[in-house]
Amino acid sequence: MSHYDAIVIGGGHNGLVNAAYLARAGRRVLVLERRHVLGGAAVTEEVFPGFKFSVCSYVVSLLRPEIIRELDLPGHGLEILPLDGTFTPMPNGNYLWRVNDHATTRREIARHSKLDAEAYDEYGKAMVDMGRFVKPILDMTPPDPTSLEPRGLMDLLFLGRRFAALPVEDKYNQIQLMTMSAVDFLDQWFETDVLKATMSASGIIGTFLGVRSPGTAYVLLHHYMGEIDGAFRSWGLSRGGTGAISNAIGDAARKAGAEIRTSTAVSKIIVKDGAAVGVVLENGDYLTAGVVSSSVDPNLTFLRMVGAEHLPDEFVADVRRYKYRGSSGKVNLALDSLPDFRSRPGPGAHLRGAVSISPGVDYMERAYDEAKYGRYSRRPYIDMVIPSLTDPSVAPPGKHVMSCFVQYAPYHLKEGSWDDHRDAFGDTVIDTIAEYAPNIRDIILHRQILTPLDLEREWGLTEGNIFQGELTLEQLFFLRPAAGWAQYRTPVRNLYMCGSATHPGGGIMGAPGRNAARRILKEAGGR
Amino acid sequence: MTPVVIIGAGHNGLIAAFYLGRAGVPALVLERRPIVGGAAISEELAPGYTAPTLAHATGPLRPSVFRDMRLGARGVELVHPDPRLVAFAGDGRPLVFAADEAKTVDAIRGFSTQDAAAYPEFGRTLARLGAFLAPILEMTPPSLDGPGASELWDLLKTGRRFRALGRTDAFRLLRWMPMAVADLVAEWFTTDVLQAAVAARGIFGTAQGPWSAGTGAVLLMNAAADPVPAGSSVLVKGGPGVLTRAMADAARQAGAEIRTGAAVSRIVVRDGRAAAVALADGTEITARAVISSADPKHTFLQLVDPVDLDPGFLARIRNFRSRGTAAKVNFALSAVPVFRGLPGPPELRGRLQIGPSIDYLERAFDASKYGEISPEPWLDITVPSLHDPTMAPTGAHVMSVYAQFAPYRLAADRPWTDAASELAANVVQAIDRHAPGFGRLIVQQQVITPRDLETVYGLTGGHILHGEPSLDQLFTMRPTLGWAQYRSPIEHLYLCGSGTHPGGGLVGGSGQNAAREIAAELKK
Repeated sequence: MSHYDAIVIGGGHNGLVNAAYLARAGRRVLVLERRHVLGGAAVTEEVFPGFKFSVCSYVVSLLRPEIIRELDLPGHGLEILPLDGTFTPMPNGNYLWRVNDHATTRREIARHSKLDAEAYDEYGKAMVDMGRFVKPILDMTPPDPTSLEPRGLMDLLFLGRRFAALPVEDKYNQIQLMTMSAVDFLDQWFETDVLKATMSASGIIGTFLGVRSPGTAYVLLHHYMGEIDGAFRSWGLSRGGTGAISNAIGDAARKAGAEIRTSTAVSKIIVKDGAAVGVVLENGDYLTAGVVSSSVDPNLTFLRMVGAEHLPDEFVADVRRYKYRGSSGKVNLALDSLPDFRSRPGPGAHLRGAVSISPGVDYMERAYDEAKYGRYSRRPYIDMVIPSLTDPSVAPPGKHVMSCFVQYAPYHLKEGSWDDHRDAFGDTVIDTIAEYAPNIRDIILHRQILTPLDLEREWGLTEGNIFQGELTLEQLFFLRPAAGWAQYRTPVRNLYMCGSATHPGGGIMGAPGRNAARRILKEAGGR
Repeated sequence: MTPVVIIGAGHNGLIAAFYLGRAGVPALVLERRPIVGGAAISEELAPGYTAPTLAHATGPLRPSVFRDMRLGARGVELVHPDPRLVAFAGDGRPLVFAADEAKTVDAIRGFSTQDAAAYPEFGRTLARLGAFLAPILEMTPPSLDGPGASELWDLLKTGRRFRALGRTDAFRLLRWMPMAVADLVAEWFTTDVLQAAVAARGIFGTAQGPWSAGTGAVLLMNAAADPVPAGSSVLVKGGPGVLTRAMADAARQAGAEIRTGAAVSRIVVRDGRAAAVALADGTEITARAVISSADPKHTFLQLVDPVDLDPGFLARIRNFRSRGTAAKVNFALSAVPVFRGLPGPPELRGRLQIGPSIDYLERAFDASKYGEISPEPWLDITVPSLHDPTMAPTGAHVMSVYAQFAPYRLAADRPWTDAASELAANVVQAIDRHAPGFGRLIVQQQVITPRDLETVYGLTGGHILHGEPSLDQLFTMRPTLGWAQYRSPIEHLYLCGSGTHPGGGLVGGSGQNAAREIAAELKK
């Protein structure tokens, strides 16, 4: 029987970040990954011979710059390639094509509306200001507003002071961002439907909300966070797929001394006298540890691995109440050649960025309406990228891979199961794309369809939620994942959480893993 | 002495007039319509029939307002009906919310024993959280820029009361406010009709469905005034017109003068101060201060010359969301309708709700997002003549129906004049499903569309609450950040309507809070 200072459950990007920081602090760390490959949802797999896919998560923008720096990820092979722009084809043959270059985008928007082109400048400025306010919050352990602990009070005071110091217009924007719907917020700035629809799309990703649902405006800000930190401005692709990010973090962890095992599933977290003492693997092996740090979601961590009997009732009720409700699917296509968009025929730079099927606000909202009543959208929102145009190593010469993020695909279907609907769902996605790029049907060599059920089965994401729990206001900050337990700690001593279900949440950000490591090192010492 | 002019004799205008008068500041109240009351009125619907034209239940009215204005002595009789509410389930079965909680629990048990067990605890929880919020509704929202000493004191007190709630309730409050009310009720109940009856309070009068985030806050704000889970449905005998007429008496007695048929067309600003109002007929009335009980958009965008306001402020007021989605249909009936599953008229004394599930409410809302009238609308119904037989000829009755959702702006710019009959038909059909033969009882019907609410009753966008009660338009943000203290960027121009904190229906909080703030300032 071997003993570790810390065992990290799950080899996704957060688990690996967590392990890397613990190992760098001199702890003896073991990472256990159930799948045969590292990365969790940030993974590259050769699904079809010669075609490598970023199977789940497919773009990167939010990865914390300090993690890149401190773990020297470029030195471990991380290379971010630009993903420039978003191309939105429209049914009437027109399109909207926004790129990173501000002046070009302004001209393009002016083609739709001169007023909107003016507003775009102000909007960008306002968002950058807002982002500056939010940035330190991402790296902070959320205070407990009900506790009288001096540390928590200081943190609250710090937040209050920072807010008070904002100019009044920024306060106004900040409150609006936190509470409004993406569309209501954008309505105040813009008039072009397709522009608002495409921008608002970022507000709904990973939530069971529509673009008109209050609370979706906040996520608009995330799009500007990369820009503020200046790491790679806006969105990017990782060379070799998103799995390369996980591999780089994994290498950094290994170099710092961490041990990483794949194909090793944890079945139980062992609790003795209210403290975690180790884990039991599915093969029956028992490993002991001073600290267990779980990067899997609260449902798996607490209800499956720990067991309700070791936990306070109120906490169990909170964990059960925590909302997942996956709402998206993924369709990965191996292509013989490039899709040809009716509104901008032929190849070109517009295919090197994201292609967004979001032609109008009502289109987006109707897609959501169907999901509310338990069916996948007949005409979904789709965000597509063709990484092989930027990184030819992921497809055979002349061929391409295309990654399609699809919303809405509700985990809970009113009729039937996802096993019955998987192919029809895939057809819907292709039919939708074909309305804008009719050649798509003829160029598909292979397709992989991932429903929320598949994300749950294969990646251990409860109800298929890509962020390990909805990013809604009542599940953010000091409420993530449960009231009073937002500080990476759990009611079980020496058991910590370090995944996307903790502050600041999902996406390839790494902040939960890093914040949790700091907490563990400070508190438990990990020995 | 030059009077203070109050624009609008709705309940908030009258309440403000009363409190200012009592504080020694006499007011002149100018009302555009021929009667006082604003949206709280009783009018003749057909010969011999009187209907609560718009509001039909109180919010309930703030008890201190009732007491201070001595409304009881002025003949106002508040009715606490039993049952309070009958909500019809999808299969037509009525769920009866009696005044006696034990009876309600029994009724719920007919649907689910688990829900019956959860109901009392839910009620107690709502009451505790409501009790925490009630003082907040009574306070003037603090300034976020430079809070003064008394504001800091208020904040400190609120902070201490928050901690005194205990961890569980404190976190509940933080979680529930931004939540969708559909999620909130699903944490407690499984019965569709029970979920819908409670959730409906989170969307009444709003352009939101039960799945909209932040509707939890609307439910909690309502619970602060009325903690009964599905609402206590306090009515006024004779309709709300009786209430506002008594308020007018109280205001007059406190020194106010009230003129009806006096439409203010402009607020005259001189040297950055509100100096007078101009009436539609051209007369100008000099004013020591002008207090508008009209909604913020009407006040700042219609009555004030834009050159007198900062463009940034104007932009914010333009962005104040006030898209109404509620319509009103009033019926004169030849007899009392017979609802399936209900023994008789005594069961109809409270509110009736047709909106059997969260999905039903949400679908009704969905239509409005695309500028369509709900094919199956959510209805909130009262039969006021059951409490006051003089409202209808012998044996006959009036029925008052709120219908949601009816969007202010219809798709493809279809005019409401075309759509009103469609709305009425949908309403009649929805009632007929539960009260077969209802259609045959109709002697006369009156349809009030959101467009009518704007043109006839002066509610911009047809919003019965003067603006969305969404998280970004509440408390320090109502109507907009920096101007939530009943003041405006124009000196001596104030607001006292529902577009200010705490807003809401027939509650009177805005008028009372505003008068306190304004009186203190004018007496300086």
